[in-house]
Amino acid sequence: MTENFPLYLIILLPLLGAALNLLFGRRFGNTFVSVVACSAVAGAALVATKAVLLVASELPARGALVDQLVSGDWIVAGDFKLQAGLMLDRLSSVMVMVVTWIALLIHIYATGYMEHEPDFARFFGYLNLFTGAMLILVLGDSLPVTFVGWEGVGLASYLLIGFWYHEDKNATAGRKAFIVNRIGDFGFLLGICLLFTVVGTVKYADFGSIAGRLMTPWWMGWPVGYWIAILLFVGCCGKSAQIPLYVWLPDAMAGPTPVSALIHAATMVTAGVYVVARCHTIFDTFPEAAKMTVAGVGALTALFAATIGIVQRDFKKVLAYSTVSQLGFMFVGVGTGAYTAGVFHLMTHAFFKAGLFLGAGSVMHAMGGEGDIVKMGGLGKHMPITRWTFFVYCLAIAGIVPFAGFFSKDAILAGTFAAEFRMSTQMTGAQAHLVALYPKLLWGMLATAALCTAFYMWRLYFVVFTGKFRGTEEQEHHLHESPMSMTLPLVMLAVGSVLAGLIGVPAVMTHGLPESLEHVLTFFNHWLSPAMVPASPEPHEHWLEWALMGGALTISLCGIGLAAALYRGGISETAENLKDKLGFAHKLLWNKYYVDELYDFLLVRPLRRVAVILWKVVDNLVIDLGLTKIGPYIVDSLGALVQRFQNGDVQRYIIAVMVGAAGILFGSTYWLAYQGIQGEVKVERRTVTLKLGDARMRPGQLIYAIDWDGDGKFDDTNVRFNSELKHEYGNAGQFKIVVEARDPVWNMVKRSDDWFFGASTPLSAKVE
Amino acid sequence: MIAVATSDFASLDLGSLLMQAAQVQAVPASSLTPAGWTPAWAFWILSALVVVGAISTISQRSLISAVMSLVATFFGLAGLYATLSAHFLAAIQVLVYAGAIMVLFVFVIMVLNRDEVERVSDRGLLDKAIGAGALVYLAVRLGEVIASPVGPVSRMSKPAPEFGTVAKIGEYFFTEFLFPFEAISILLIIAVIGAVVVARTVVSRPTTSYEVPNAASGSAEGGDDHAGGDAHGAHGGH
Amino acid sequence: MQLLVQNLLSVGLHHYLILAVVLFGIGTFGVFMRRNALTTLMSIELILNGGNLTLLAFARSHQDMRGQALALLVIAVAAAEAAIGLAIVVGVFRNRHNTNIDELNLLRY
Repeated sequence: MTENFPLYLIILLPLLGAALNLLFGRRFGNTFVSVVACSAVAGAALVATKAVLLVASELPARGALVDQLVSGDWIVAGDFKLQAGLMLDRLSSVMVMVVTWIALLIHIYATGYMEHEPDFARFFGYLNLFTGAMLILVLGDSLPVTFVGWEGVGLASYLLIGFWYHEDKNATAGRKAFIVNRIGDFGFLLGICLLFTVVGTVKYADFGSIAGRLMTPWWMGWPVGYWIAILLFVGCCGKSAQIPLYVWLPDAMAGPTPVSALIHAATMVTAGVYVVARCHTIFDTFPEAAKMTVAGVGALTALFAATIGIVQRDFKKVLAYSTVSQLGFMFVGVGTGAYTAGVFHLMTHAFFKAGLFLGAGSVMHAMGGEGDIVKMGGLGKHMPITRWTFFVYCLAIAGIVPFAGFFSKDAILAGTFAAEFRMSTQMTGAQAHLVALYPKLLWGMLATAALCTAFYMWRLYFVVFTGKFRGTEEQEHHLHESPMSMTLPLVMLAVGSVLAGLIGVPAVMTHGLPESLEHVLTFFNHWLSPAMVPASPEPHEHWLEWALMGGALTISLCGIGLAAALYRGGISETAENLKDKLGFAHKLLWNKYYVDELYDFLLVRPLRRVAVILWKVVDNLVIDLGLTKIGPYIVDSLGALVQRFQNGDVQRYIIAVMVGAAGILFGSTYWLAYQGIQGEVKVERRTVTLKLGDARMRPGQLIYAIDWDGDGKFDDTNVRFNSELKHEYGNAGQFKIVVEARDPVWNMVKRSDDWFFGASTPLSAKVE
Repeated sequence: MIAVATSDFASLDLGSLLMQAAQVQAVPASSLTPAGWTPAWAFWILSALVVVGAISTISQRSLISAVMSLVATFFGLAGLYATLSAHFLAAIQVLVYAGAIMVLFVFVIMVLNRDEVERVSDRGLLDKAIGAGALVYLAVRLGEVIASPVGPVSRMSKPAPEFGTVAKIGEYFFTEFLFPFEAISILLIIAVIGAVVVARTVVSRPTTSYEVPNAASGSAEGGDDHAGGDAHGAHGGH
Repeated sequence: MQLLVQNLLSVGLHHYLILAVVLFGIGTFGVFMRRNALTTLMSIELILNGGNLTLLAFARSHQDMRGQALALLVIAVAAAEAAIGLAIVVGVFRNRHNTNIDELNLLRY
């Protein structure tokens, strides 16, 4: 089932590239940096391809290539032990291929796009770092290793969003992304911990057998699997920009465009979808409330972001909301159990969304950094390659047959329509009815979102590439097609956008075709399921499937038609009128439903107020005025006391040494002996018990001689230290007891009847 | 007997000499542990020389007299070493201490050419009294312990024939004490260089904090004609 | 009385040790009483010789030559100490025109 393969190479190469570029890139110049960065990713892509071919050809469906990341134990804490390894199976194969090859194309593109950038080396160092971290995420064989990659891509994302940190806006966007992701990551980490606590394993390979343990009832009567799934999904919401944590992604467009294409469209943001598919056992826990949550959040996000996308004017903002929306589609896919469809859409989306962003970069490159689409127009004739590739991407994302988006989006829509959530059998009739209706509701939301998608993408296309140029003359003069390094990836991604969908054609469409062709066309459908993930739900009747497909296509065409009517050949007056007429709706959408303002009011401001209180009260008063003043005051006054001895006079120092030595000698002998002669007398008829010495003394330090009757002659001599001594008197009377303690080493002799420092209570015994 | 002693260094053992002498003195054998070996008179004379010399060293007003007293002390000590069968050490004591180091002292005293005006400063006399008290306490207690019959009984037996020979010391320096020996040689080199660096006549010296700035500008050739000594007064004293 | 005669006539380890204590005491007393740096150095030599005397006495008593080897090392250290100390005294004298150690207190607080 498993076979060893040096998977670490796939990770190591980009990380090495990052190290080289960050440490030495600046010194060796841009050519060096480009070669190192691109060849590192190309090497990773080739090794990954070799590995994936092995998975495809030599391993059984559930097989995986494995490798060690850390030899022996990775984390050891008492009984807790964790290993770190890498694993490549069919699911991670899809991700690895997408990540490495698209990263390679974007690296090549960026060498052209960033050619005037002074911080070239830093950019490519970060980009390689991201690629390495993303591959750790994808190749990790357990949730903790994935989490390492998860945090790594978060870091790289933060660094790249704020790449031009000289502008406050960009740095703020980076911070926002980082902080919002922290919220999600916290949930993710809690989910891992809970999983480990309850189930005892976090390795993906063991997930097949944990379903039973996940059923354990936990908080609020729900099975523990539900809570783990929800916690993991909180992390996925952060990373994959779902409601309510999507707000960072549109702002993240502050980063350079290749970054938006690679991280914030094609790879990193899909990590959440990957994790849900990877942990499907957890999400499948009965009752399937977690899946309902995932699908519901996904559908809501898809619709929500798509409507915002309709009115935005910034090129990259439109694409950003489009990404959020498409990620929502994917989550509906994995949430309704159509895992194959979700992952398939992830793959096809990576092609055309990366292409869209690169196209946007190409346009903005030509426009001198201008991103407002209202100031563009008619660019098609100046940059034909960008225009026609963009045309293909728009067809793909709108879902026109036979482009990639059609098949994947259709698979999700069909899966959603046919989905059934298994909930508790004790539901009332109305509840069961609602649960049965839920997938249809989701389907409706997705269909609306698809309509919006087709509309805003084609609005973008028409406004930017058709009609007359609306910018300044200087900009128009400057318009040019981008260099080869940028157009080549555009073309390749366009080819991918055409072809990628053709490996996941629904089975109904391939009936009657030759078997070999059918095998190719439905390749993706049985690549994952049922080996890796459960099979997608499918409509039972063929006519329904055809109808759904036709409906989706019609919706897309409607969207395109609407966009063409309003924006073909420039922004029409109808569009402007419509905007004025629907003033309120437009304003709401333009301001993104005021979500940022809401968060600002609900979270940011209260937090800020708390922070101000902490600053003014705790920091300024308690710490600055209190601790930092009192502490030094104590130290200062003690110092003032002690510094009098530090008078620089060597003679006094040596006097102090002498006094100290004398004190030690006195303390260790005289005082010890003094303690030794202290005693307690207990009389019982004629037997007297003498308890000697201090309890703190160690036995054997002193030798005693005891005169029981005070006649000056010691009755017991050479008595070793003993806490209690007994003596029997022959006759009655009052007796004086004298104890002599001798320190054998220092020959210190001390008697209890000494006039000077004798025993503190005179020792005597009255015997009857 | 003396002829024998000069011909054979090892047999210059005053201990064995005096062992015979002690027996000759007809001390009741029963009251003595068998190995009373040192000629008691030699010890007493030498230790008297040492104690008187030491007291003289720390009490003389004239530095040259103090050094001479110290030389006498060292000679006495060398004799005591010899009674302890440490003939080589005795010779080194005379050569290095009474010879080299003392010559160094004499040179420095001649260079400085200043006798003390005031032997003991009247400042901090209370401290000094306390220190002296502590010292006396320490000495008396230590002496008490050493002299006590309970402590390790101290009669010494006749040493083995090779004890105290130069060969034996050399053997130790090439085996067990090799590292300290090498370390000491490095220390001596450092001391030689350090002494030269510290005592060298400085031609131009940067202004130090206790100097009066305008005095420093006039003392480029360093040494003797600046106001550094006076400037100390401005620093505050005690 | 018999004990006193015995101790006068027969000399053993403790005689040497007590002499070493006395030497050490005189040296220490000199260090903290006298003002002159040179006298202080001489007192330090007395202290070191007190230590040497114990080493040699014990070496003789235990029949162990290592004590003598150690004493030789002490003499070497003493020589180095004297050389450096005297150099410092000369340096100090050159700067301050006296060698009173109770006035050398620049390292105070």
